[in-house]
Amino acid sequence: MFGLIGHLTSLEHAQLVARDLGYPEYADQGLDFWCSAPPQIVDKIKVTSITGQQIEGQYVESCFLPEMLANRRIKAATRKIVNAMAHAQKHGINITALGGFSSIIFENFNLNQITQVRNIKLEFERFTTGNTHTAYIISRQVEQASKELGIELSKATVAICGATGDIGSAVCRWLNERTDVAEMLLIARDRDRLQSLQEELGRGKIMGLEEALPLADIVVWVASMPKGVEIDSTVLKQPCLLIDGGYPKNLGTKIQHPGVYVLNGGIVEHSLDIDWKIMSIVNMDVPARQLFACFAESMLLEFEKWYTNFSWGRNQITVAKMEQIGEVSLKHGFRPLLSF
Amino acid sequence: MPQLEASAALDFHSENYKDAYSRINAIVIEGEQEAYENYIQLAKLLPEHEEELIRLSKMEGRHKKGFEACGRNLQVTPDMEFAREFFAKLHQNFQDALAEGKVVTCLLIQALIIECFAIAAYNIYIPVADDFARKITEGVVKDEYSHLNFGEEWLKANFEASKEELEAANKQNLPIVWQMLNQVADDAHVLAMEKDALVEDFMIAYGEALSNIGFTTRDIMRMSAYGLAAA
Repeated sequence: MFGLIGHLTSLEHAQLVARDLGYPEYADQGLDFWCSAPPQIVDKIKVTSITGQQIEGQYVESCFLPEMLANRRIKAATRKIVNAMAHAQKHGINITALGGFSSIIFENFNLNQITQVRNIKLEFERFTTGNTHTAYIISRQVEQASKELGIELSKATVAICGATGDIGSAVCRWLNERTDVAEMLLIARDRDRLQSLQEELGRGKIMGLEEALPLADIVVWVASMPKGVEIDSTVLKQPCLLIDGGYPKNLGTKIQHPGVYVLNGGIVEHSLDIDWKIMSIVNMDVPARQLFACFAESMLLEFEKWYTNFSWGRNQITVAKMEQIGEVSLKHGFRPLLSF
Repeated sequence: MPQLEASAALDFHSENYKDAYSRINAIVIEGEQEAYENYIQLAKLLPEHEEELIRLSKMEGRHKKGFEACGRNLQVTPDMEFAREFFAKLHQNFQDALAEGKVVTCLLIQALIIECFAIAAYNIYIPVADDFARKITEGVVKDEYSHLNFGEEWLKANFEASKEELEAANKQNLPIVWQMLNQVADDAHVLAMEKDALVEDFMIAYGEALSNIGFTTRDIMRMSAYGLAAA
């Protein structure tokens, strides 16, 4: 049994979904209510691999909302994540992906120090951030979508915004080792981390966002922020491939400029329909087939019975591990989303 | 990403803390006393479980003594009058149900609502308690799970016959729990126990109990949030 811990994108979205699903007790409530709401298993999932193997999973709604971070309800935000993890464990789920902000909150607030939740001792080996698969999929999107747009990586400049994060640094490693990309621009807030990344890669230019954008043929957006960021699309090159690996995905609706191609990053398509309701709720274009790569990672771990926290900690994703998860991703019928 | 603010160290001997503690400690003592009496009375309605219920009752009596010691340790006199008033409505509803022989309602009030309320409060209290009280509370909370389990098991075995009465008893009593929580929110805050955490932990414990009894997720979300918005 695999699990997915997810959350909705905003209070308004949560109210809408609660109404749609027929939970009026939750639909009309403000942020205070959601800060007190317990985790719930709201969807049962069946996935079939192209090998014919079938697995079952459960979707745990953590009731976390990004507004909790914006309104400094930090304790509530962290509680949502550990409570959802305890809930998943209590329900006997072998491997659970921490989707959306869940893994970011876990890392940022050092929730690995919390091992006891009520009468449950959290077993971290039952959880994965899913970041290895996400980083693999984004890297493959860079390679494959650039080819479709006629951008040659050997002549291209790739700007990675959020380069020092878990996913960002892994994408940098992949591009460095597995491609002949001409130039990498490293963008992040923390100067020290940027420098150690640059040292590790032995290349890459450290730059500010505004300075980097006009130079980039490809922009990989993997910064984690509770509020979106405005990008001035008029300064971008044409063509420019913009891979939006943030959450929630909103660059596509904000940036509509000829020659700028926005691709939803870290999204996979499965070859067969998945029996679930939850992806239509998070507004995927093809809800039965498209999903977050981090969620797909827990499915892959379940298919392969790799009951281990495959992606865990910060900045520990190696190219070898990306290749390992990439191999089983292909084997079971997942592929990177490539439609703009 | 915003940062978590370091919480200020609690001064367990400050007047402010002791004043709030005099009410919270009293509530806990009164809660354990009422639980002690309620299980004895339940034994009359469920004679086949008398031995088990008397055992649970005795446990509650021991808990009460433990919490009295916590108050003495901080040199706090519990405000028992406040506590009796605090439990008055739930107490009355239990007594009314008992008089009518309504086992299901009695179990919902004592073995589910009060136990879940206690489990939530104790779990939130443990990380912010003084050393003496922490040890006592850790021991108590383990016992409370077994009391919750008694109610769950009985109601699970009699689920179909109990369902309607459980729904009605939930409607009657859950709004009272929210009022009780609101009434102590300020005092609990002084003890570094946040109201939204208390509500969440109550809903988790109560939701799990309802799930074990046989209710669906949909029922649980409806029942466990009943009356919260109006509170």
